[in-house]
Amino acid sequence: MHRLIDDNQDSPDEMTELLKSQDNDTIIDGPERPNITNLPDVAIIQTSTDGENISSNAAATASSHSRVEAIDPQDHETTHRHRRNEQPDEQRPLNIEHEEIFKYGASHVVKLFVPVSLCMLIVIITIKTTSSYTPGGATWAYTPFTEDKSTNTQRILFSLANTFIFMGFVITATVILILLYKFKCYKIIHGWLILTTLMLLFFFLYSYFSSISASLNRPIDMITICFITWNIGAVGMFCIHWKGPLPIQQAYLIFMSALLALVFYKFLPDWTGWLILGVISIWDLIAVLCPKGPLRILVETAHERGEQIFPALIYSSTMVYMVTAVDPPPREPQFAPDNVDTNMAVNVDETLNEEQRNQRAAIRNNNARRQLIPRSDVPQTATRREPARYVVERSNSPVIDDDDDDEKGVKLGLGDFIFYSILLAKASALGDWNVTIACYVSLLIGLCLTLLLLAIIRKALPALPISITFGLVLYFSTVYIIGPFSAELNLGQVFI
Amino acid sequence: MVSLSKKSPEERLNICRKYYRAGFAFLPLLWLINAIWFYKQAFKVEPYPQQAQIRTYVIRSAIGTLIWIIIIVAWNITFQLLRTKMGPLGDFLTFVYPRGYY
Repeated sequence: MHRLIDDNQDSPDEMTELLKSQDNDTIIDGPERPNITNLPDVAIIQTSTDGENISSNAAATASSHSRVEAIDPQDHETTHRHRRNEQPDEQRPLNIEHEEIFKYGASHVVKLFVPVSLCMLIVIITIKTTSSYTPGGATWAYTPFTEDKSTNTQRILFSLANTFIFMGFVITATVILILLYKFKCYKIIHGWLILTTLMLLFFFLYSYFSSISASLNRPIDMITICFITWNIGAVGMFCIHWKGPLPIQQAYLIFMSALLALVFYKFLPDWTGWLILGVISIWDLIAVLCPKGPLRILVETAHERGEQIFPALIYSSTMVYMVTAVDPPPREPQFAPDNVDTNMAVNVDETLNEEQRNQRAAIRNNNARRQLIPRSDVPQTATRREPARYVVERSNSPVIDDDDDDEKGVKLGLGDFIFYSILLAKASALGDWNVTIACYVSLLIGLCLTLLLLAIIRKALPALPISITFGLVLYFSTVYIIGPFSAELNLGQVFI
Repeated sequence: MVSLSKKSPEERLNICRKYYRAGFAFLPLLWLINAIWFYKQAFKVEPYPQQAQIRTYVIRSAIGTLIWIIIIVAWNITFQLLRTKMGPLGDFLTFVYPRGYY
């Protein structure tokens, strides 16, 4: 579900134009750029479903770039094209084009490493220092079967049942999100997004602080805790849904993803967790790449309408969706359905208690986010936050100012962040640093490969499958094969 | 993700003003972010008509942040020192009870 969307999906002609225009200082903004002020800036928590949408929107805008010659006011990538149209194509040497491709890949990869690593770091530090974030506590509405079974066979069966129930929630949420988007229920999506982030920011933050305080074993008074929660939550709402400084926004996205990953890690039983990781990767692959896949439909619909992806729930390393000084009045709320977690839509269950409902909602929201960015296809549980899509700004156009940043860059959904962190959290649960580091490196390598593929294919791609596959393979092989092997080598004092 | 340089002066003033006003709802963090974010705009950029107003907002936000920090630190010191002596009120206000060791 996570999709890395290469916003720079230009045809070679456009590329040359882009390259040429870099020599120009002319910046065209204004009427051609849609006004995106009314878009929520950050909706990180939306789980994967949203993430994909974002990526699709980005992809849509990017691909429209290559399609259309005329300047389409709805496509703000055309502003770049417009700029670039001034120079003839033949003057661009081909090698610059290649340079741009490569340059795009490397800098973006590095820019994506930092937030993903930070998110994982927060999750692992929290798990190691507090004892309340260990799995096997209360059961969860999404995975109702427990794994305390006597035989392995029974355990596998119940884990599979849990997984399918979970996936059912996710798929339902995605489908509902897509339906809402198709029927232009933007207000519902927007309201849902706000509710999700609200719940995520306040409720989960409060429980996070209670766990941290309990593990620190210092008395903290209620007034201070409420005050801190209120402050961080309110500022988060400001930064995410309105305007705020970019580093603060990114920090909130990372932190929200980490919180969600912690919640997931706490409530997912052991074997169910591994199965869910695998099945979600497959679902991501299907939903993004198949012609009938929901996330792909979302992207294409957004593309047809010329709308941008909902920026909430996308992690952007650059200034995305910047509002320029002379923006035209907003045409309509441009909601990227991606941001909305389809999962969120599913959360209406009166029979659940408050906590379960909240968690469900949180998951849904999270899922929406994931969709946007590399996680495009996982509209899964609403409570899962979508991995923040990391928007990588293209650094290879120094002359072009920030206006271009929004359009360029890779977006990574929040859902991807969350699932990477969950994988790493489960890997670190054994206490063996070999396993943890092996999984971390494999996740990063998977991310590199996905970005490389994105740079080559230039379409929305799911960010989960490759990384999760590498992570899973490396986890199980390290635990069962490499670990004992190194132990034996060490005992025998054989150095290789 | 907003870049202040991309916005018109009116918009910047608008954002600064909203952050300033919202900070009165017990949100010193908002004031702190306001002061840091708009510091460059208020003092380091060439003057433009709204800069004077932004400057007042930034200065007031900074002062408000300082006042809140003093209040919070004072309250925490009071609470930590008097928690056990306040009786039922101290227990009521405590969020987390430290575990004893044995």
